Amino acid sequence: MFAHSYAQRALVEVVAVGALCGVVGVHVVLRRLSFFTMAMTHATFPGIVLGALLGLNLYLGAGLFGVLVVLAVAWLSSRPGAEQTSVVGVVLSGGFALGVALLSAQPGFTKDLSAYLVGSVLTVQEADLLVTAAVAAVVLAALAALRKELLLGAFDRAGLVALGYPARLLDVALLLLIEATVVTSVPAVGTILSVALIVAQAATARLWCERVGTMTAAAVGVGVGSGVLGLAISEQARVSAGATIVVVASVAFALSWLLAPRHGLAWRFRPGRAVA
Amino acid sequence: MLHRLLVEPFALPFMHRALVEALLLGVLGGVVSVFVLLRRLAFVSDALTHTVFPGVVIGYLVAQTAGVVWGALALALLSAVLFTVVSAGGRVTEDATLAILLTGFFAIGVILVSRRATYTADLTSFLFGRILTVDRAEIVQTAAVGVLVAGALAALGKELLLRAFDPDAAAAMGYRVPLLDLALNVLVALVVVAAVKAVGTVLVIALLVVPAAAARLVTDRLPLLLAGSVLVGALGGWLGLVASWEASVHHGIRLASGASVVLALVALYLLALVAAALGRLGRRSPRPSTPDGRVRLSHVDSRAGLPGERA
Repeated sequence: MFAHSYAQRALVEVVAVGALCGVVGVHVVLRRLSFFTMAMTHATFPGIVLGALLGLNLYLGAGLFGVLVVLAVAWLSSRPGAEQTSVVGVVLSGGFALGVALLSAQPGFTKDLSAYLVGSVLTVQEADLLVTAAVAAVVLAALAALRKELLLGAFDRAGLVALGYPARLLDVALLLLIEATVVTSVPAVGTILSVALIVAQAATARLWCERVGTMTAAAVGVGVGSGVLGLAISEQARVSAGATIVVVASVAFALSWLLAPRHGLAWRFRPGRAVA
Repeated sequence: MLHRLLVEPFALPFMHRALVEALLLGVLGGVVSVFVLLRRLAFVSDALTHTVFPGVVIGYLVAQTAGVVWGALALALLSAVLFTVVSAGGRVTEDATLAILLTGFFAIGVILVSRRATYTADLTSFLFGRILTVDRAEIVQTAAVGVLVAGALAALGKELLLRAFDPDAAAAMGYRVPLLDLALNVLVALVVVAAVKAVGTVLVIALLVVPAAAARLVTDRLPLLLAGSVLVGALGGWLGLVASWEASVHHGIRLASGASVVLALVALYLLALVAAALGRLGRRSPRPSTPDGRVRLSHVDSRAGLPGERA
């Protein structure tokens, strides 16, 4: 297993992305930003297409476009009558459609979009690994530096404002960090896997842990574990690698949802439990 | 000019059928999107468009094209039930559970389809649909779903609105709130099933989210919201098809028709944004805040969050 060099590169990428997504995912889950994350994976698509058309780096194209999308979401959500869920929905569909329209104007439209969706983790190159490692270092450093402020904002936003922190600026900073994570992981692992890795492992960890520190560690562990296990299974069964990792991560969550102590379904409805 | 906008693009039978389908879906989406907006179900709609995918694949494997709708329907109903169950709350908030169901179900579909030779083409057509190849049977299906949804909303509309504005009052009056939630999730699921094969997932999300969101920017009265939403949905479908035809035939730029319908809807949203800003500029004094007996949609904003958000 993992004998070929492409499989080893895939393994390194999955471990790196799993660890990065685990840490970022904790903030996504605590702040209920899953839909925003999903929207980012779709809305940065035109950036990738434009990058390819202009001969730019894919990461650069998607990254720059993603910054625009984050600012658009932040600004649109503040308009009267607008409400964040629908703004995110509008941005998601509009951004993705723009990418499709740009792509359809090119000859050879039927070209491979499945790689964009479920990724092609088995074809990552050393350059991708370097980008992942660099972005992971920057994002993790920023999250470590802002840890206290971001967590306070997640649990007690009014308190954060009262203490004089620039709450809106911190929100945008977190959205940009999520965007950087999405942009880094999508070309390698695809949109669906990227969302799954960010949300599923942090949600699984949330079921088992009471403290943010242990939750972060558990999320990284679950992410790396499902990545390695999924890759191994897909190599044996010869099915899509990205999709198998997603299914492993989802099964881990489903089992935890049923069985985790204190918060699992089985625990809540265990026999002999006094009715509250 | 009028001829070029109204008659010429739709002279060919396939464009004619595409227009009928786009208008049907625009009206259907416009109506349902009002409820999607009020109950903040944008993410649920997005999730449904992805969770039906394994159903599409299994249906196709079992009974070829005839099985697609039934497979999608089965998975859509299953997802609607699951979404209602997970929204009951617990440690992990609804949005995270939705994201996991969405990615997990979709990945199962991808695994099933990844064993086939035409893997990538299948995925692409699922995403973007083929509104230009929609046939009579599919139009009839869409119309049937439209009638069904309209009937259900006529019967349950009042209760669904009460639940959106004041879930506690609905519960106190003896309505079963989870059952009402399930009913609405099923209605959204039906629209997804009716539309997904013809127009693809991305267009379905746009149809279920953008019309009401655009109308909400310019009005906070429910009847106007409903009318505006239907208008935006239908107008977006027509404008998108015209733009796609115009670009392809007269300017030699190929423009995917599904994507241009979405872009037309988003353009109408931006137009509503500008109109709302101009309207605020035009008003000298702020609106009188005395209640006038009418229910304003701003009332919903503090009450109708996801169960987890209210907690």
